Amino acid sequence: MNNQNSVAGIYSPPFRIVVKYFVATILSFIVFNLMLLIDYKSISGHHFQPKILSINHILTLGFITMIIFGAMFQLVPVVLEVKLFSAILAEIQFWIYTAGTILLAYKFYFFTSSLSFEFPAILLSLAMTIFAINISITMTRVKKWNITGTYLASALFWLLITALAGYLLSKNLDSPFIKINHLQYLKLHAITAFIGWVSMVVMGVSFKLIPMFTLSQGHKLNLAKWTFFLVNIGLLGINWIMHYPETGIYTLIFGLLIFVGIVLYLIQIFIIFKKRIRKRLDIGLKFSAFAFIVMGISALLNFSFLFFDYERIKNLTLIYGFIVLVGYISFLIIGQMYKIVPFLVWYHKYSSKVGLEKTPMLKDMFNEKLAELQFYLMISGLVVLIPSLLMELQIFIFIAFVLFSLSSLIFGFNMIKIFRS
Amino acid sequence: MITKEMKISEILDKYPDTIKIFISISPHFKKLENKILRKALASRVTLEQAASIAGVEINQLLFELNKTINADFKNYVENKKANDTQQSINELKPDWLKNTPKEKIIELDVRPILDKGQDPFTDIMKKVKALKDDEILLIINSFEPVPLYSVLGRKGFEHYTKKEGNIFKVYFLRQKNFYEASPVQDQNYKQPSLVEFEEVMEIDVRDLLPPEPMIKILETLSQIDEKTVLLVHHHREPLMLYPKLEERGYEAISHKIDENYYKVLIMKKKK
Repeated sequence: MNNQNSVAGIYSPPFRIVVKYFVATILSFIVFNLMLLIDYKSISGHHFQPKILSINHILTLGFITMIIFGAMFQLVPVVLEVKLFSAILAEIQFWIYTAGTILLAYKFYFFTSSLSFEFPAILLSLAMTIFAINISITMTRVKKWNITGTYLASALFWLLITALAGYLLSKNLDSPFIKINHLQYLKLHAITAFIGWVSMVVMGVSFKLIPMFTLSQGHKLNLAKWTFFLVNIGLLGINWIMHYPETGIYTLIFGLLIFVGIVLYLIQIFIIFKKRIRKRLDIGLKFSAFAFIVMGISALLNFSFLFFDYERIKNLTLIYGFIVLVGYISFLIIGQMYKIVPFLVWYHKYSSKVGLEKTPMLKDMFNEKLAELQFYLMISGLVVLIPSLLMELQIFIFIAFVLFSLSSLIFGFNMIKIFRS
Repeated sequence: MITKEMKISEILDKYPDTIKIFISISPHFKKLENKILRKALASRVTLEQAASIAGVEINQLLFELNKTINADFKNYVENKKANDTQQSINELKPDWLKNTPKEKIIELDVRPILDKGQDPFTDIMKKVKALKDDEILLIINSFEPVPLYSVLGRKGFEHYTKKEGNIFKVYFLRQKNFYEASPVQDQNYKQPSLVEFEEVMEIDVRDLLPPEPMIKILETLSQIDEKTVLLVHHHREPLMLYPKLEERGYEAISHKIDENYYKVLIMKKKK
């Protein structure tokens, strides 16, 4: 028999620290959408432009990576049954990271000479290193290891590689020294960020969260192991080959490995969804299910890029960026936040009062009808945006961003409602 | 054939009659009569583990169980046992028994107690407690009370068994120089605190989404007193529940059945 009562009370990191990450995440999402709206005229043409780079980093650093940090402080202890090594480091990291994010977005946006690229890059790399150290030490204390831990450990590795690549790119912008093409190196930075860091976290965590939220049982995680090896080997290969000017057939081979890995992952998720007990998908799971579909589409799209010169089709890189960043990652994050944030707030404020006084139901902590509206606004935004970018119809691009902005305001409203309930 | 690696639940499923043997061998097994507790406690416990928890000699338990389920085995061991018993009876009376005057031998015949369908264990322990150092306890029974050997052995008693016709006479004497209940042994003996509970409440939260399992469990706590254990069927280990139980003075033991099924036993903390 497994006696666990000695571990009671150690799992949750302080609420006030995790909340900072969550609030910064919500703010970043709103800022990202409003800036798209303000600068809609700049969202066209080549992706290597100051405003696009700035807005992009508000989303990737301020929203995506911010929520991963916050969620991992909460999830790693629960999933791996271990105490977080240091809550103080988590707090220090937050301020360094937030400063770095704001300064980098500012520097990209204005391209002012009064601030180097290197300085925000140093702040961001420092914050990410602190995070990696904090979680790594936490992981060395784990007694019962599982596949989610393996995914998260590899994600930490890729986070550091992404940060390093980002730092080198920033130095290169200040004064060029990278021998290979800056844009090729940027591509490496992006691939490592989205597949190595973001997707490894998403996949690893989903093996725990999706069954928890859908009450799925009896599925095996065999495919998950294959995905892990295929994607990581593919990524190592890409990271190696892209340091050469000519990548040749190799990108095809490594790209194929990653593609097959992601397909196997999606089959795994499909199996988990199939075996769920709760058939009805609530709003959080609707966002998530949509995200998984788009993840499949973006993997397919990315794979097809290996076979033709996609940069010659106007705005295709941008379209691809929106599909990945909004359709896949943002939908998934928002969906999971609609599940996790009410639970965290409820646990913090009400769990000690259960049975003693009345406590709210999770679904009453936010307006589900509005969340539903947000879901359809975001989908409509994407549906309008993609053809308008392809055909360069500025007015429709503007309309798409209006839809996005409205949806982000609804999200902000609902999240505030949760925190205040 | 029952082996020591078999699970208790497996044995009871296959041979429901063996429940009587379990109970007759040790009062600790009484809780197995309760189907809920049986399900909760016995599904992963092997016979060997159970024997050590209850303080019963494993071979004795195996022997008794196999005797009931298999006629051939019964004959085989009966013969063997007859020889063994013969041997022990042929052994010389130990000196301590020879040198003790009759009035120093305290006699307890447990047969009438057993006939009434009661468990003689508490009566025996009462006598043991009252026993002076130079006195000998004589237990008279219709079968050889093997579990007592180890129970009293841990309390520092040696024994001598004599078969007279159909009855067994077992003499117990407290060894000199034996520090009663040295900490380690004492702990072993007290280990299964669970068997002290009288009531089991059972709830199944497997079809609830978080945090409803936690809500349901916490709401049920008000009905859990010192004598009741709450058995929760859960789809995962409720890690976030533990601190909340702690706050309210409860503790939990989680018992993994498979990836998606945990049995969680919740009880009030001992002061």
